[in-house]
This record gives sequence, C-alpha cells and structure tokens, in this order.
Amino acid sequence: MTEAELGLLLIHPAVTTEPELLAKALEEAAASGVQIADQFLITKINDKSVAVEDEKYDVIYYLTPEKRDAIKFPATLIPVLADALKPNGKLYGLPDTYKLDALINGFTTASEGRYHWVKSAVPQDTATAVPLKARANGGGAAKKLPSFKRASSPVQVAQQDNDNVLEDEYDDDNVNTSGKAKFFADLHNPPAELIEEEELVADSRDPTGITMITCGKTKTRRKKACKDCTCGMKEQEEQEVDQVRKNQDAVVKFSEDELTEIDFTIEGKKVGGCNSCSLGDAFRCSGCPYLGLPAFKPGQKINIGSILDDI
Amino acid sequence: MVKARISKRIAILYGSETGNAQDFAFILSHKLHRLHFAHTLSSLGDYNTLDILDCRHLFIICSTTGQGELPRNALEASHGNNRSSTLWSFLRRKDLPSDLLNHVSVSFLGLGDSSYPKFNYAIRKLHERIVNQLGAKEPYKRLEADEQCMLGSNKNTGAGIESVYFEFEKKALDNLCATYPTRKVNGEIIKREELPADVYLRPDSSLLIERDDNIQSNSVSFKGDEFVRVGSVERNQRITHAEHFQDVRQFIFKGAEAHEYGPGDTVSIFPCNTDQSVQQFLELQPHWKPVADKPLIFSDRAPSIEGGLVQPLTLRNLLKYHCDIMSIPRASFFKKVWTFATDMSRLERGLEQMNQQREKLQQFGADEDMQDLFDYCNRPRRSLLEVLQDFMSLRLPWEFALDFLPAIKPRYFSISSGPNCSSIELTVAIVRYKTILRKIRKGLCTDFIANLSPGDQLRYKIQNNHLFENEQLRDRPMILISPGVGIAPMMSLIRAEISNQIMLFFGNRFMEKDFLYKDLLQKWEETNRITLFSCFSRDRENSPEFKYVQDRLWAIGNTIARLLVEKDAIIYLCGSSGKMPTQVRITLLEILKKWGNFETDTAACDYLKLLEKNDRYLQETW
Repeated sequence: MTEAELGLLLIHPAVTTEPELLAKALEEAAASGVQIADQFLITKINDKSVAVEDEKYDVIYYLTPEKRDAIKFPATLIPVLADALKPNGKLYGLPDTYKLDALINGFTTASEGRYHWVKSAVPQDTATAVPLKARANGGGAAKKLPSFKRASSPVQVAQQDNDNVLEDEYDDDNVNTSGKAKFFADLHNPPAELIEEEELVADSRDPTGITMITCGKTKTRRKKACKDCTCGMKEQEEQEVDQVRKNQDAVVKFSEDELTEIDFTIEGKKVGGCNSCSLGDAFRCSGCPYLGLPAFKPGQKINIGSILDDI
Repeated sequence: MVKARISKRIAILYGSETGNAQDFAFILSHKLHRLHFAHTLSSLGDYNTLDILDCRHLFIICSTTGQGELPRNALEASHGNNRSSTLWSFLRRKDLPSDLLNHVSVSFLGLGDSSYPKFNYAIRKLHERIVNQLGAKEPYKRLEADEQCMLGSNKNTGAGIESVYFEFEKKALDNLCATYPTRKVNGEIIKREELPADVYLRPDSSLLIERDDNIQSNSVSFKGDEFVRVGSVERNQRITHAEHFQDVRQFIFKGAEAHEYGPGDTVSIFPCNTDQSVQQFLELQPHWKPVADKPLIFSDRAPSIEGGLVQPLTLRNLLKYHCDIMSIPRASFFKKVWTFATDMSRLERGLEQMNQQREKLQQFGADEDMQDLFDYCNRPRRSLLEVLQDFMSLRLPWEFALDFLPAIKPRYFSISSGPNCSSIELTVAIVRYKTILRKIRKGLCTDFIANLSPGDQLRYKIQNNHLFENEQLRDRPMILISPGVGIAPMMSLIRAEISNQIMLFFGNRFMEKDFLYKDLLQKWEETNRITLFSCFSRDRENSPEFKYVQDRLWAIGNTIARLLVEKDAIIYLCGSSGKMPTQVRITLLEILKKWGNFETDTAACDYLKLLEKNDRYLQETW
C-alpha cells in the first residue's frame, strides 16, 4: 500500500458561504489518494497569522468561487506556496494568467488532466530569485537555524505595472496636436533647410536666467588631473598610487605562485584598532595599509591570482 | 495581464558623452517609476520624433562635447544608420511654426565643464530652439552644471554636478507630483506615494528558462541591427617601440563586404568580455552557474540592445557580450542592487556584516554627496566585478540581469585606410594604467582588440560622417594637425590624395619610440605627397626647437596665415581632448592676428569663427 500524499487546502474566504464546494473538494482529494493535512484561509496566510512549513506537502489545492479567468490571487503568496511544496509537488486551482509568476517561482505548468502547476525539481536556487532569502552562515551555524525561519525578510519585488499611465487616468488633456502632425509628414525625407546651430547660442560664458541650486550637499570634490595635465597634479596622483602600493607590499607577501597570504605577523605592520581592515576598501580607513586590496577573511589565504596579473 | 508601462506623456531624453548624463537620466527614470509614473526613457538620438506630439512633460539631460556640439547619441540613433530623422535634426528644420511645441512642458539640465570654451553649449542650443523658437513651456529655468563649480547653477558653491542634478530632480518630481497628486488602482483613486525603498522594481521583461537543457555550442549570432557586420582580423601589429609605455596598434581587418567610406569616417567596434571575466562573475554569483548555459527567453518584449541581441540567449552569452561587468559601476547600479544584499553565508561576521554591507551599498546609490562612491569606484577605476568581490552579501537574481547590469557600448575609431578599401585599417592606442588596485586597469575595447589575432572575428559598423564630401578639395591646401593617435584619420586623408598640398603637423613623444608610421610618412614626404612637420615633446635631442604641434605652426605662422586667408585652406585637427585643442586654437588665432592683415584683433577672431562655421576648421577630438 502506498502512503497517502499530504495535501494542503487553501480556501478563499467566500467559500465559507458555499460549504458544498468545500465538501466536493475534500471528496475529490480523497479519491485521488491525497490526505488533506491542513486547511487554511488564504487571508490567514497572507496576513501571516498562519505559517506554512517548508516542503511539507505533495499537493496544494486552491479553492475559490471566482470564475476561472477572473481569479485574483496575491502574487506574493506564490513563492510561499512554492516553498511549502515538496519537489515535484503539485498546485491546483491557479489559472494560466499567473503563468509568469509560476515560472519565476520555479513552477512549470502542466495540462495533462486537470490544469496544474508542478514545482520544478531543479535546485530551487536556480529557478527562483524572488523572494530572496538570507542565506544562513556557512558550516556549523547553518545547522542551528531551523529551516523555516527566515534570517531576514525576503526581497520584495514590485511589478512595474504598478505604474500608472497618465493617458488612462488623467483624461484632462484637451490639447489637440492633430494640426501639427502635418509638419512631421516629410520626417524621413532628406532634411529640408536647417537652421544654423551656432546661431542658437549667444556668445556668453555665463548667462543669466538659469536656476541656481539652493543647497549643495556635496563637499568640494578633490580635483582630478586633466588628461594632458601640465600642472603637476598628475605626478602627485601617481605618487599617491605608488605610496599606497608600497603600503600594500608591507602587509602582503605577493608570492610567485600567485597564492597570497594576508600575513598578520609581518613585523612592524600596523593593524588599526578599527577592525575594518578585512572588510574591503568601502569600509577601510584612509591610510589603511590594505587599501587597494580586496576584502578577505583574516588568516585565510586569498587567491588574488585574479587581481595579480600584469603587475 | 501586464500593462504597458511606457507612456509617451512623460519623456526623459539624454545626450551623453561619458555616461554621466545617461546615468542621471536613469536615476530620474528610477525615481519616476517608484512614484508610479509610466514614461519613456531614451537617448535623444533614439527618440521617436513623432512621439513629441503625445508628450506633455519632457525632461532633457544633455552634456556638451569639447567643441560645443551635442553628443553623438543625441545626434544619431544607436540602431541602423539614422541621422536624418532624429528629433534634433527635425527640430532644426527651418519650416517649423513657432508654436510647434506649445503643448510641451520641458525642463533642461546641462552638464558641462567650464575649462572648455563652449561651456554647456549643447543644452543652450536645445533650450533656445525648443523654448524660445518653437514655443515649449518651461516650468522652471534650466540648470547648467559645471564640473569645475566656476560657472552655471553651482557657480562658486563648491558643489559638484550631482548637486545640480538633485536640484533638477527635486524640481521635476515636485512639479509632476503637484500636477498628478493621485493615481488610480483598480478603479480607485489613491494618493500617489513612493514605493518603499527596499522593494525592487521588476523590469518590463525578465529572463526565464526556456528548456531545462544546456547549450554546448560556442557559436553565437546577433539579431537586431542589420548594419552590424562581422569582419576578420588581418593584422594586429604594435607600432610603438617595445620599451615605450604606450602600446599603439596598426589594426587591419577584412570587411564582411565592400563598404563605401571615406576620410573622416569611423568604425564602431563591439567588444566583449573575456571568458575569464565571465567565469569570475559566475564564481562570485554561484547560483548563476547551474543556469549559465540554459536557453532563456524573455517574459515580455526583448529589450533593445545596441548592435543586436546575442543568440542563443544564455546567461553566459549575455554576460560575455552585453553586460559591462568590467565597467565602473554607477550610482544607478547601487540604487538597484543594494536590496539584494541578503546572503550572509559567505561573510565572516554574519548578520552584522551583511547589514553593514547592505547599508553601504544603499548609501552608494542614494547619497546625494557622491564623494564616497567616487573614492571607492571612480578614483581607483574599480570594476563592477571587483565590487562584487568586496560585497559577498550580494546575491543577485539573474532573472533581472539586464535591468541592473550596465550594457556594453561600442567604441568608435577613426578609419586610417584609404577610401572604400576592403581591408579596414585602424590606429588604436591600447588603454592601460595603474591605480591603487594591484591589477592593471585596461580599457574593455582596446584590451579586446589587443588580444585579437589574424583570423579572429569581430563585430563592427561603419559610420559615414560625410566630412570631406561634396567639396572640391584637390587644389585647396589641407593643414592637418594631429598629435599622437590623432594621426588615424589623417592617414586616410593622405591615402585618398584629397589635396595636392597636404601639410601634416604631427607630434609624438620620442622620435625612436612612438613616431607612428614613421617609415611610411617619411617616404611620403620624400615623394612630395605630403609636407611633414614633426616634433617630439620629450625628445630634446631630436626635436630641440619644437615641443608641440602648435610650436611648429607658430614657426611658419606667416605661411599658415597666407594659406588660410588667400588660398582657402582647410584645417583638420584630430587627437586627444583636453588642453591641446584649445592651445592649437589660440595659436591659430594669434597667427591670424599677427600675419593675417586684419585691421583689428576682433576681425581676426571673427575670421576664425567663420572658418569654423564654414567647415574649414574641422576638429575631431576624444
């Protein structure tokens, strides 16, 4: 005897007024060998008052009195349902209009028998980008985290079709441009006589009548040497670069096999109390001897073969 | 179903030289989307001119080239070969009525640098034509940003160009939100509110796996721009001394077909990333690896990609051919990706470090003071790939790769070969330099070229710039001025035997190290094909009198003035931008004042301007 498949029944709130729908659904599930383990209102899942476990179910049914082509389902729940299914698990009840969300969340659609979605057996990473879960720390730490707990909230992705098209909703546009269209008629013909571009600009370096900024939040940026610098700034920049590189040589042994160790034992090497040396340039103090080197894990060999060629 | 998010009612158009204007346009677009304003975002050159009839709110962000021109992507479309039906060429027609644009409200932001004489000329030209001559309304006066903070909107404030952008953005958003304070959702009118900061805005079209199998073949093709061709490398030869710091190549490739081109025309080359860089990217985003070679499709329309979209569509191919992972990431990149800093498994200090990285990434994207971003990315020329190396908490969703990764752009080179020659020759300086990062910085495209061997293939497109056509040039003297790699188009002019009297002013550093095409030029001089005036700026021994090309011009100033005033001569200046073009111009002006027999200095000055206006003083600098 094969073990019964575990099912989840999700219910649209309006179904509660049509109990016969529910009874029929339970009957059908039983007939196809599915044991309904849980039964939730989607509103409860949506407001997170009920949580579903990851990879628990073989089948999920969604039950709604809406017409099939008028079904409205919160797209943010689709990844949650994807998580709740075992690999190759099936989801019944969502229409083909959500196909895009299906594909993005790692489902394929199937039309043998009743239309349904199948959770792809491809490792989830490769097929789902949304939502993104914070990965747990590698190694030991990962085991301490129960799999259903999210270490941080998933990235929310909004559809651009949230955008409103002004033409649709602000029909106050009573400008009639049809009379102007005739000027565009010979758009693709060889250009007619053109105005003289140079005559468009007055010979003034500093015109009035422009908007002045009210508050500049930027500090004066340190100037950059011009391409053909003659004032000495270029040499100054080159000296700075050489100095930073010299500092690097003092803390890192660039060895011949291109495997380089960040060595904490070099005598006289300064390690700041800032604790930020290993975090990468974005976090290093100015004057940090590691400036210009990639982020690293202290004490570990880092392969800077990639950064090393052509030195 | 998915609704069209592109609206013609609002349009953001940019003309960009180095990418600053484009990035500000992208940031404004991002902000509008987050306020639920559908709109059009495009370069000025790619904008569909007819759409201006449906536009009510236009935002133009445009930089200015060294010569006061609109940037290339404002003048021409990126696809095909179109320069004549772009918005700007249309708006310059003389037969347009003065109320043509009175249905449009338009805001301008110009990006400029007051160390150039024609400061912010491009935005002023656009402004004058669109507002004063064609009747568009301006809800607030334009802004002009100055890299040097000496002129324009940030004059003497010490504030950078980004401050000017943010002032522009604030005015733009205030204005739109005041006009459209509400929006409709499912028929219900609600207040217009910005999306929460950590919600990622899904692009129009995302990537999906088409089939679960792997594509093994390495062969690719591109569809979308029929003017892009595939050529085959014939020669790739270093022409500077091995010990000279700069590697300059004579680079020749066989065209895919017979092309019509002439002196002054250019070739754009479509470079790609090395397989090694792509692999490094995949190692840094390991969850991309299992899908890297799977066939993909777009969930909606395929995005428009300059030069055409790679086939077969896989992540690996997209990373190699379209995603500029070796570029320096801009603020808009950080704005989009910070919310994906969700992976603490690769961090030594777990959650704390993840949050620290998340915050830093967000700050790089949002800070109106871009100083930290500049110091971290721009100054050391740090690549996007290296940023990923430093921020291991970033776990990027490949589905939206084309939304947050910047696109590889083609690079332009002047043609050196003679007209219509089936072997197309370029003169390419390989870009390499040192910063505080240990790895030598390389230019994506010139590194790509440097590594090509005879027989290798490359994608290219020819631009006909019509610089020297329709003119009877044979008997008019040509004064060619070209320091360094500026020699590239001069080689084409000489080979075309465009004039009986060609004078070449050619400057390099050392006679024995970087005197490009030395033997050929000397031979041409011996056979009287050209008169050569060379000089070497770091080589006292071989060039004791002259350092720069302008020194040689000045030395025969009398002759130059006579050729210009009496013989209808044409000047063509080509080379690196910076101070050189200005100094040459000043020298020519002084020559005219001294030897031109003008009654006043102003008359000499006007004469020089007339030369520029009549295309007798042509300039191509980069």
